[in-house]
Amino acid sequence: MKLLEVIADGIVDVRAHGGRTALQTIGVVLGVASVIATMGLTAGGRQQSLNYMAETGGVLKVMVYPRPPETVRGTARERSSRGLTLDDAEAIRASIPGFELVEPAMRTRSLLRSPRASKSYPVTAVAPGYAELHELRVARGRFLCDEDLTTRAAVVVLGADRAHEFFGSGDAVGQVLRIGDTAFRVVGVLERREFYWNRSETWNALGWMNELVLAPVTAMQARQAGAGSRRVDELGLRLASARDHKEGVAALSRLLLARHGVEDFQVFDRQENLRQMNEQGKIYDLTFLVCGIISLVVGGIVVANIMMASFAERVREVGVRKALGARGWHIFVQFLLESLVVTGFGGLAGLLLGVAFVHASAHLLQQQAVLTPSMAVAALACSASVGVVFGFFPALQAARLDPVVALRTEG
Amino acid sequence: MSASPLIRLQGVWKTYDTGEVQVDALRGIDLTIAHGEYVAIMGPSGSGKSTLMHILGCLDTPTRGSYLLDGEEVASLSSGRLAELRNQMIGFVFQTFNLLPRASVLRNVELPLLYGGVGRQERRARAREILDMVGLADRARHLPGQLSGGQRQRAAIARALVTRPRMLLADEPTGNLDQTTGAEVMDVFDALNGIGQTVIIVTHDAAVAAHARRVVRIVDGLVSEDRARAA
Repeated sequence: MKLLEVIADGIVDVRAHGGRTALQTIGVVLGVASVIATMGLTAGGRQQSLNYMAETGGVLKVMVYPRPPETVRGTARERSSRGLTLDDAEAIRASIPGFELVEPAMRTRSLLRSPRASKSYPVTAVAPGYAELHELRVARGRFLCDEDLTTRAAVVVLGADRAHEFFGSGDAVGQVLRIGDTAFRVVGVLERREFYWNRSETWNALGWMNELVLAPVTAMQARQAGAGSRRVDELGLRLASARDHKEGVAALSRLLLARHGVEDFQVFDRQENLRQMNEQGKIYDLTFLVCGIISLVVGGIVVANIMMASFAERVREVGVRKALGARGWHIFVQFLLESLVVTGFGGLAGLLLGVAFVHASAHLLQQQAVLTPSMAVAALACSASVGVVFGFFPALQAARLDPVVALRTEG
Repeated sequence: MSASPLIRLQGVWKTYDTGEVQVDALRGIDLTIAHGEYVAIMGPSGSGKSTLMHILGCLDTPTRGSYLLDGEEVASLSSGRLAELRNQMIGFVFQTFNLLPRASVLRNVELPLLYGGVGRQERRARAREILDMVGLADRARHLPGQLSGGQRQRAAIARALVTRPRMLLADEPTGNLDQTTGAEVMDVFDALNGIGQTVIIVTHDAAVAAHARRVVRIVDGLVSEDRARAA
């Protein structure tokens, strides 16, 4: 006897029970829908964080900032700390091989002047690697180059907003911007960048890139007041690979601590952030999964319940089938399959409902939604196993019916 | 095996253990039925004739005694082999027709072939052939609920015959039919027996039993009378 044909026989029976089947599946439908919806939304949030990281230099970026002195307990030694310096950067380059980029940046507020505007803004003194580290993109002209650094060239690269502010909509490249008393030639303008955490958000998370005023660190040191200071405001680093992450970051902290004697710096490690985010995500996922599974189990109990009812009213039918030569396993397969088809159908409906819900709520919350095929597979697998688990007992019971007793049953 | 009788019961007992009391439904039945016979089994309710029918139909096995069906001892068979025997050797016709209400007439008739492992093509062809024989060829796609009582019983007979069983075993086949349609159904049995089909009818209706050529009377779990009727 061909299994497929027994299966086909079972499906005919499910079809004949449309209304009840629909009712039967509601629990499974909602269970699957909630699993899909929660997975989709949490994955969406995580994806957005990854997107931001990708936009701003990737997950291998490590940032070190001086810790503001007031947050450091004020022992004499701590107060005497010089904070982060260019020498720290040199020491890292010299002794920790895991970092492929080490980019110190120094910020000084200066009066900027062009024929069009005159205003005081922070100017960031950097090296050419700064663009690569933060994934700055040049829209017109070029970025700072090594030659600028060695010749202490008085050149400047502007963020899109600054370029517009000082030079209007015309081309800023080639124009002169006075920084303090010195004339700097604009050699490049950065691409305008935008990133909003959700679609109703008005704060541009990449706005700082549009407000950059970047000059070669050598030129700034030579020309500005306070020249000779080796103190840096931030130290940006990039790991060569995620593999070096633990070791590299630990070595970095050790080195700085050894050099400074006190922990007057803070390390922001994206790999670590990512790990924490994933860890946190796992907790969310687990919570939602448990909720989803509970609703699936409840759905399964409903399925089992209705299977039992359907079984009770079909005892006689089982008797007839047995009289016609059906073996136990024929009946078992038929009943189990009915339950599987019902829950499979429920799973599919739940999948569609869940996807619709994710899209609707993503739209409502102005959040990104992420749905992957593996979620669909997981949802369907869940609902199918509910069908097997909760259909098993009624099916077994039906298979074991004594035909004489079954035929005597009214109904 | 046609040399041996189709059915040979020897000292068959059936005892139901209800927990408190043991009820002997059959108390040592001896009965032999040859191929091609047309037998009515009669008896008042509670006489044990239903139990006898269940045992003859391999739905149940004797507590004691021997049942040789076409030479094979049934008393000791597994439930799987019993299912196979029911499928291959026996065609059941029930008082209440027992057609599956949600399957078409054709599907109902095909069902025993499905359980017998017959391929789809052959199944369909044989089911249509047999429906044609009982005059329901044009009702194949109908649901049982769309048929009259007589048509339903003819569909049930078609289903019983489709595996070409050694015996047709009918339990009060006219019990739910009016006189006219009941007579029509009995005509079908008569015709089938006319072409060599073994027919066993369990009934309490003398008019039905009158169609058979042999009447076996069961009283209190024993054969009280076994006589051939004048043809």
